[in-house]
Amino acid sequence: MSLTTTSLVETVKNQYFYKLKANIDSFSSLVGIQSLAMLFSLGGVGSSGFSGGDISVNIKYYSSDMIFVFTMIWAFITAITITTKPYRNYDFTFVTNRLSSSLANVLFLGSAGLLGAITSVLSGNLLQIISALFMDEQLYHLSGGSSHYILGILTTFFYLFLISSIGYFIGTLVQISKVFVVIIPVLFIGTLFFQAFSLKEKEPFFWNMIQFYTTETTVSLFILKAVLTTVAFFTLATSVLNRLEVKR
Amino acid sequence: MANYYILHYNSNALHRRGARAILNNNSSKPIYVQIAHWIESEILNNHFQADQKVYSQYQLAEMYTINPATAAKGLNLLVDEKILYKKRGLGMFVTEDAKQIILNKRRNQTLKQLVDELVQEANRLHISKQELITMIQDANEEEVQT
Amino acid sequence: MKVIECSELTKSYNRKKVLNQLSFSIEENTITGLVGRNGAGKTTLLKIIAGYIKNTSGEVRVFSERSFNSLNVSGNSIFVDDQMSFPPALQLGELLGEAKRFYPNYDANLAKRLFDYFGFDEKAYHNRLSKGKTSTFNMIIGLASRCPLTIFDEPTTGMDEAVRKDFYRALLKDYIAHPRTIIISSHHVDEVEDILEDVLLINKGSKLLHLPIAEVKEWACGIKGNSETVLKLINNKEVLYQKEVGMNTLYAVVRKDSSGSGSIEEQAQLAGLEVTAVRSSDLFVHLTTEAKSKGGIDDVFNNY
Repeated sequence: MSLTTTSLVETVKNQYFYKLKANIDSFSSLVGIQSLAMLFSLGGVGSSGFSGGDISVNIKYYSSDMIFVFTMIWAFITAITITTKPYRNYDFTFVTNRLSSSLANVLFLGSAGLLGAITSVLSGNLLQIISALFMDEQLYHLSGGSSHYILGILTTFFYLFLISSIGYFIGTLVQISKVFVVIIPVLFIGTLFFQAFSLKEKEPFFWNMIQFYTTETTVSLFILKAVLTTVAFFTLATSVLNRLEVKR
Repeated sequence: MANYYILHYNSNALHRRGARAILNNNSSKPIYVQIAHWIESEILNNHFQADQKVYSQYQLAEMYTINPATAAKGLNLLVDEKILYKKRGLGMFVTEDAKQIILNKRRNQTLKQLVDELVQEANRLHISKQELITMIQDANEEEVQT
Repeated sequence: MKVIECSELTKSYNRKKVLNQLSFSIEENTITGLVGRNGAGKTTLLKIIAGYIKNTSGEVRVFSERSFNSLNVSGNSIFVDDQMSFPPALQLGELLGEAKRFYPNYDANLAKRLFDYFGFDEKAYHNRLSKGKTSTFNMIIGLASRCPLTIFDEPTTGMDEAVRKDFYRALLKDYIAHPRTIIISSHHVDEVEDILEDVLLINKGSKLLHLPIAEVKEWACGIKGNSETVLKLINNKEVLYQKEVGMNTLYAVVRKDSSGSGSIEEQAQLAGLEVTAVRSSDLFVHLTTEAKSKGGIDDVFNNY
């Protein structure tokens, strides 16, 4: 039987479509988690009101912040999940090597992030519509056109992608040694505690880290920061996974 | 404990000829020898005439569910004994003298071995030479009558 | 062409050597049976060949490439066992579709026919199949993928007798129509030996035998008869097994040696002993039994 040369691009493409089908459950959990977040958000994030004479005005603010946070958590967990043994073994049932498997994972997480970004931005609208339709409130929309949406989706996507790269990296570490299951939370909480108890008046480490991205006002610079970090985490994870054996 | 593989798959050729082919995995003979033996019997039974093509290694492999290499080994055994000859790209054919060679071989080897064993067993049971000859004659008459 | 070449292949887990200095090669388009006792290292060897795990030292080349992380090795080979894992979200019909996506030689028609023959439902899920059905489904993927290197690790686990026979028959027919290199590891030597061309016997991670199956039957013979006569005959021979069978009667399995005057069978026959063939499966058991207990399990109970 004649040998065929297997191309990396073709394999990654095949693996990607395979993963989309295999991980269909993660998309249904996205729907679930966003619905839940929407339910929590129905109370509104804040309200203010005033009344004068016969008129009383009550203003309620709705935002998709909660949905965004929940989607972040979903992206993080999805990324960790696909590094686990069963998910890696699915790849090896068919054609793959470790590189193509990782690249397909990155593509999959990218797609998941994009979907998560679109749905969470749009669900903000849905939230307002629901409250207007069912809660007898007058809707005043406070956003500016399609460019606003695109920008929202774009930044949300990069946040989600960044979070999933961190999840992917942590998941990978756990795959090398179960010790990391303990070490990572200990480090995380430990840093918080250490800084809380340290006498120096200093911004906590993680707060600084988060602000590094969140306080960036130039979109292009934010994207640059996010992409570089994401690439770094994925590269690290891939190089670690590249040595891992298939055990089942 | 006997471990017989009775041929029943796709063996139209065998059924048509009314032959019953059995491979015995417990036999002291390797499978390829049994294959060669079976083809010899087919030639003796006039199922294959001189210059007629016999089964290919792949046909044999399919018939008996054996590896084609094993079947080929059986065929080559017959080529070595000049019972079959190869035509390049066409297959294996029965030689002119095939039947005679097989008959001679079976007379000289198989039958002789059987007789040797018979004599050995007779000696063990203290049966005299004359008694043994009478037994053979009786058996022969019975065979002729039936 | 050699499809697999291993030299001094060693694999250790926590300093324990699972494979020890294994050297062999497998020719293209042959069916090789990998046999050995439980824990002999069969699965480890096959997984190294498939590129799933890494050897500790030595060299393994599949299609002239190092198999670990080789995309070409993965694309041209398939590893089939009962642990093959499939995403639980996909139905059996969809899994066949995935196999088609990945393997260029995949024969969807063959897969479908086998699928129907063995009574599978396209809407069923892999993780709800019984043991035997799981093996059967995995076997269908393995056959239909038509990979130049097809590895079956204990493919018949859980299959009933009829399905096992069907499997061997299907494998052989497809091999004849589309020759490829196949390795099958199995405990059921009696069942599988007819379709093999070569046998590789390993024990405790080392190679014991690698030879055409046709030669296995001629490798050793059994001798039975009067104990003293047998003992005298096998005195300076390589004895693989011996056992008292009845009053003053001994059965021994000895290796045939081509050198010397007169084969051991002739000598035995002259001495009035019974000479029998040794079944391949029995020979493998004898060869892999500890030297100190040539009587096998009976030694455990003797002098108890």
